[in-house]
Amino acid sequence: MPFRLEKRPEPSRLMQYLTPAAAVALTMVVGAIIFSLIGYDGMGAVREIFLTPLTNAYKWQDLGVKAAPLIIIGVGLSIAYRANVWNIGAEGQYVVGGLAGTWVALATYGMSGPWILPLMVLAGVVGGMLYAAIPALLRTRLNVNEILTSLMLTYASVQLIYYLIRAPWKDPMGMGFPQTRMFAEAARLPTIIPGTIVHLGVPIALLVALVAWFIMSRSVFGYQMRVVGTAPHAARYGGFSENRTIWLAMLVSGGLAGLAGVLEVAGPFQRMVPGFPTNYGFTAIIVAFLGRLNPLGVVFAGIVMAITFVGGEVAQTTIGLPNAATGIFQAMVLFFLLGGDLLVRYRLRRVASTPATGAA
Amino acid sequence: MDASMPLRLQLTGITKRFPGVLANDDVSFSVRPGEIHALLGENGAGKSTLVKMIYGIMQADAGEIRWDGAPVVVANPKAARKLGIGMVFQHFSLFEALTVLENIALGMDGTLKSRDLEVRVREVMSTYGLLLDPHRTVATLSVGERQRIEIVRALLLDPKLLIMDEPTSVLTPQEVEQLFEVLRKLAAQGCSILYISHKLHEIKALCDTATILRGGKLVATCDPKQETSRSMAEKMIGAGLKDIVRSQGRSLGAPKLAVSRLVTSKAGHFDVPVNDVSFTVRAGEIFGVAGVAGNGQNALLDALSGEVLGDDKDAVSIDGYPLGLLNTTGRRKRGLCAVPEERNGHAAVGDFTLSDNSVLTARDRLGMVIMGLINGGAAKTYTGKVIADFAVKALGPGSTAGSLSGGNLQKYIMGREILQRPSVLVVSQPTWGVDAGAAAAIHQALVDLAAEGSAIVVISQDLDELLALCDTLAVINGGRLSAAQPVGEVSVEEIGLLMGGVHGATEARDAIPA
Repeated sequence: MPFRLEKRPEPSRLMQYLTPAAAVALTMVVGAIIFSLIGYDGMGAVREIFLTPLTNAYKWQDLGVKAAPLIIIGVGLSIAYRANVWNIGAEGQYVVGGLAGTWVALATYGMSGPWILPLMVLAGVVGGMLYAAIPALLRTRLNVNEILTSLMLTYASVQLIYYLIRAPWKDPMGMGFPQTRMFAEAARLPTIIPGTIVHLGVPIALLVALVAWFIMSRSVFGYQMRVVGTAPHAARYGGFSENRTIWLAMLVSGGLAGLAGVLEVAGPFQRMVPGFPTNYGFTAIIVAFLGRLNPLGVVFAGIVMAITFVGGEVAQTTIGLPNAATGIFQAMVLFFLLGGDLLVRYRLRRVASTPATGAA
Repeated sequence: MDASMPLRLQLTGITKRFPGVLANDDVSFSVRPGEIHALLGENGAGKSTLVKMIYGIMQADAGEIRWDGAPVVVANPKAARKLGIGMVFQHFSLFEALTVLENIALGMDGTLKSRDLEVRVREVMSTYGLLLDPHRTVATLSVGERQRIEIVRALLLDPKLLIMDEPTSVLTPQEVEQLFEVLRKLAAQGCSILYISHKLHEIKALCDTATILRGGKLVATCDPKQETSRSMAEKMIGAGLKDIVRSQGRSLGAPKLAVSRLVTSKAGHFDVPVNDVSFTVRAGEIFGVAGVAGNGQNALLDALSGEVLGDDKDAVSIDGYPLGLLNTTGRRKRGLCAVPEERNGHAAVGDFTLSDNSVLTARDRLGMVIMGLINGGAAKTYTGKVIADFAVKALGPGSTAGSLSGGNLQKYIMGREILQRPSVLVVSQPTWGVDAGAAAAIHQALVDLAAEGSAIVVISQDLDELLALCDTLAVINGGRLSAAQPVGEVSVEEIGLLMGGVHGATEARDAIPA
């Protein structure tokens, strides 16, 4: 083996914070090269995806609306990942949260009152928690890896949407379309800036991030998440149960994903449709890491990822980039980020081909 | 054994230095062809380091290794195997899901057709009476059978020197007998054996020569058959013991910590569980638990601290209040604090600041938590007090634990627990790797805490430390605790023998439960 990874004695703190910026910059450069090579306007693609959403004021409201669910889910995931609990199924918990909210909206159809929306939100959070409880139970009781179970449950949740909107919840006036009826006024999330699409979910996302930041840095709960993730043996010594931590991490991340789901179905969608799963739950994984697993960092990371969503749509119309281009750019950000993190912690050492040097 | 033959292995002036430790200091000895040579010493005496240099895992800083009379440089284990040096490690490297034969094939330096390999393996097995089915899956084998795979692996190379690192620590007495037969057969055919152990009766039964190391230095080379277990234990531990200085006129109070029929379950293959341990520590008493590493000390500490819970609420109690079912937090609230052996990652979190590390164990006793929120100021103040009182060399409460030297981190950890004024303190290896000055400070703090009426349990492999510090002493061996005796009434010889697993008159016959 000509190269070997060698642990750095003291990883640079500065580099740890610079890595996300470097990852985004590298993504732009490599993205431009790749799309040029396959025959698109590479520079244009990067400009449309990363800059147009920022320079075009008309797109800002889109940014807010796209960033809100990413931030809410990303905050939850950043808490779970701190504790080394790998909830990869936020997309599924988001879907179940949306479905739970839909259920309340449909059950209260024809009623009115200010209690309907809070009840929907509560149902969404509980729905997300319950769906995350399945991998938590399997992990703590049978030691089943939560990465696999949470991921696979995502696909089950999507089938659940298809079933519900094709049969029991189908819009009676929908002319056979597989979707629920439009929610009543009382079940719709109000917009907060008149004339725009910016809904109540946007300030909620910021509030969630702030509260999470405070809890993670100041409370015993946050301390528990950090110590279990960093040094499980020390956590046991300190009196923190590993199973309890897994449960807490799964329930918090699942509940927040469910919250994002219900806000999304009550806000932008206002009905349940087959296109409800929009990969926010998966993109939020990138958001959590890009935000350095810090709730405040997640806000910035959520905005960056929202830019690529909005910019991807712009690029589709302006320079005919395929929809998948957004995914490529997002994946590159994660790839360069994880690669950068590795190089911050380890250095690449060339090893002589004859293994003559003794190991220290 | 022909005297005219060159020495199989000759070490001259081997020295190896690690940061802060001289692991081997000018060690010289030799092994004749066909000789079974014991390397004897307490933990940390430098046995492993020495063997690692012979097997090419490490390089010596100074000194010479001669092999069959010619100087050699053993660059790596592959080179060692080429010379004819085989090694059987204490911990096996086997794939459980594969068969015996597949495991052996994976460990070979060269490639051999599986049919030819099987013929060779069967040959070696029948020659040395190593009973083993090459097609069995490793997962179905006992520990002794697994060791046989490692031995076959080493013997396939036709070694001229076989190094065995603590080979009997995981074997039943019957398996030990079988192993000795194989080793004697090997030696009779001219293969030298370097046998590392601290079990004196085994060395007396098996070895021709014993080289004794203490503190990295060679202290004696002797013929174990001419020595008694007592005399070897003395050499291993060292005669130059410090005088026991204890304050005059101390009287011990009422029983405080009571451990009754404590039993733990075996978690892994190399775990030694605690078996039916009972003892009482009175207020003001320092109770020492001596013993060679790996005899159940870790299980004992985890069971006392509450990290691993049993199902008997009365197994551990303070002032008659049962703690057996409480976790570490519950026991701390009741006054029982503990310090495990491993500092970084167990007693402290290296990536966290010292302040955050204080929250780990002191949050409840010192009121650092208000309505679920951590009072950072209180943690910082307490950490500052620990740093000042225990002369911890750190920039301040904001320094990360990982940035401290081992000795300083240990002082911080000990201070963090002692300043909580626990009514019972259980510590493991309180001065392991700590310089003399810091060790003295830690000892003083423990004595002072006891003087205030706390009951203290010190688990240590350093007998000098225990003799200087403790009022009462017991020895743990194979998960069992010997009867406690007042320190003034025990002899070093007796303790040394108990540590080596020799129980009174039943020398060499002591049955260690499997």
